[in-house]
Amino acid sequence: MVDLIVLGAFSLVIVAMAAYGYRISAKTAEDYMLGGRTIGLVVMFFFVLFAISSSWTFYGFPGHLYLHGPGYVFFIWGSVAGFAFLYMFLGPRLWALAKINRFLSPVEALAERYQSKALRVILAVTMLAFIIPYVGVQPLGVGRGFEALTGMPLWVGATYTAVLLVILVILGGMRIVAWVNIFLGTVYVTALLGSLFWVIAVVFPDGGVVEAAQQILASEPAKLSTPGPQGTYTSVLVIGTFVVGLLAFSWPHVVIGAMTARDKTLFKWFPLLIFVFGGLFFYIIPFVWGSIVAPAALPGVTDPAEADRIVQTVIQTFLPRWFGVFVLMGVIAAAVSTAAVQLMTSSIIVARDVIQGVFKPDASDQDITLWARLSVIAIVVLSLSVTVIVSLGLGDEAMALYLTDVSVPGFAQWAPALIGGLLWKRGTRQGAIAGTLAGVIWLVLGLLVTNEAGARILLLDLHPVILTLPLNAIVYVVVSLLTERPSDEIEDVFFTEVDDFLRSER
Amino acid sequence: MREMLEHTPGRIYLLVLLLSIVLMAVAVFMGATDAPAEGEAILVFGWMTMPLVIGVLFVIVWLIAYLIYFIKYWPYR
Repeated sequence: MVDLIVLGAFSLVIVAMAAYGYRISAKTAEDYMLGGRTIGLVVMFFFVLFAISSSWTFYGFPGHLYLHGPGYVFFIWGSVAGFAFLYMFLGPRLWALAKINRFLSPVEALAERYQSKALRVILAVTMLAFIIPYVGVQPLGVGRGFEALTGMPLWVGATYTAVLLVILVILGGMRIVAWVNIFLGTVYVTALLGSLFWVIAVVFPDGGVVEAAQQILASEPAKLSTPGPQGTYTSVLVIGTFVVGLLAFSWPHVVIGAMTARDKTLFKWFPLLIFVFGGLFFYIIPFVWGSIVAPAALPGVTDPAEADRIVQTVIQTFLPRWFGVFVLMGVIAAAVSTAAVQLMTSSIIVARDVIQGVFKPDASDQDITLWARLSVIAIVVLSLSVTVIVSLGLGDEAMALYLTDVSVPGFAQWAPALIGGLLWKRGTRQGAIAGTLAGVIWLVLGLLVTNEAGARILLLDLHPVILTLPLNAIVYVVVSLLTERPSDEIEDVFFTEVDDFLRSER
Repeated sequence: MREMLEHTPGRIYLLVLLLSIVLMAVAVFMGATDAPAEGEAILVFGWMTMPLVIGVLFVIVWLIAYLIYFIKYWPYR
């Protein structure tokens, strides 16, 4: 009962913040979708860091490290470089371009750059297709946490999260989603770090983390190096995992964050926070959890779903029960902070790029804001199908590889058009359409077509991004070079004006 | 990135970042993250596994290069 009261109070704080956000918002599409382009450095940092630090950092990431050893951490090193890449290389141009031309979505910016409604539809559908199932993984993670802590069925936690998300996003909009991420991020870091220190103090009182590592060295030394106990992380896979991490610059819910910035100085200082707080602090916490503390405290787990829950199991085994509620609050915080940004991004794409971009070009500001809010409900309902599928035993629930094997390759398919659109004057509409279509079609077929042993034969059983992304990029470049270069007007608007704007004092 | 390619400090900065990735890949392919043959896994400070150590070094190189370039040379500063 106390558990439910605590969780109820936690949700009330979020709902209150959302209601406050609704009261102070300017009721314009720009305010709802991009926080009025007023997000400053600190808020942006929490906004982005906890948009990407989902329940995956509590379940999937440490669970995979637990089973396969430390090789998977190269995904993190790649991601840190990828996020820095976005904010150092692409962010300033995208921000300036969107601010000058009042673009509300990155898909809209690219559609205008390439002068193509068809590309707008292709990119919008692709992003939605890969982001919505990932939204669905978040309520599932919370559902598992609820189940483990309270014994309630999976759907209770998932529905609780879904309702919280709908209220937060519909009322609050992007500004409050960003602000709430500060609260949620603080809760999450406290829970993850606090539980780590406490478990180390209880289970390894003499030597701490060194004692834990020495224990693994004595019992399962293969868990402390590559390729890991099952021989999975060969050198090729380690570097492949790093490259997949690098593609973090193309995650749509992170890209859109760059469009909400208050001014260009944010891009000067933001990478500092990514390197110091993200790379050298935050992501090391789940790494220590999954690769050292959990395997030493509770060795012997081999089932992937159980491994996904290993951190929570350790906490429930060694710490008082009341702390488990606090940790569950942290998991909910991680899930909600990510899913809310993904939901905002999806709803913006639906309202601005699909409904206004295709069906109702004359829709007013109020209309598209309304459509964005309505689409939030539809997307949440759709995403809950992930929980239904797992509840019915029709799907695999191990989370780690969903992110790296499905979502990231999907998001990556707009990377050539995105980079080329912002940095390469010669990139053309035909190149962007041909490249994106080639990559997406091969990816989707490759994920769906498997042989009897489950191998993805069209992808040669390699990581989905290894063949599809180079094909996409090559087709984009070759077709662009073979077709007529973009007009001088496009070059002026998308390159010259942007350069001038960024070099000015504004 | 276009603005970085237009001046020497920017080109050096990009080269440093690229080289750090290449060096990391070389280290991985040379077995720096594997346990030595006939030996135990290397643990720095008694607990830091080599994939963690290499990653931390990689981030520190990017951090130092970024601080120098963005504070002193970034054209939009």
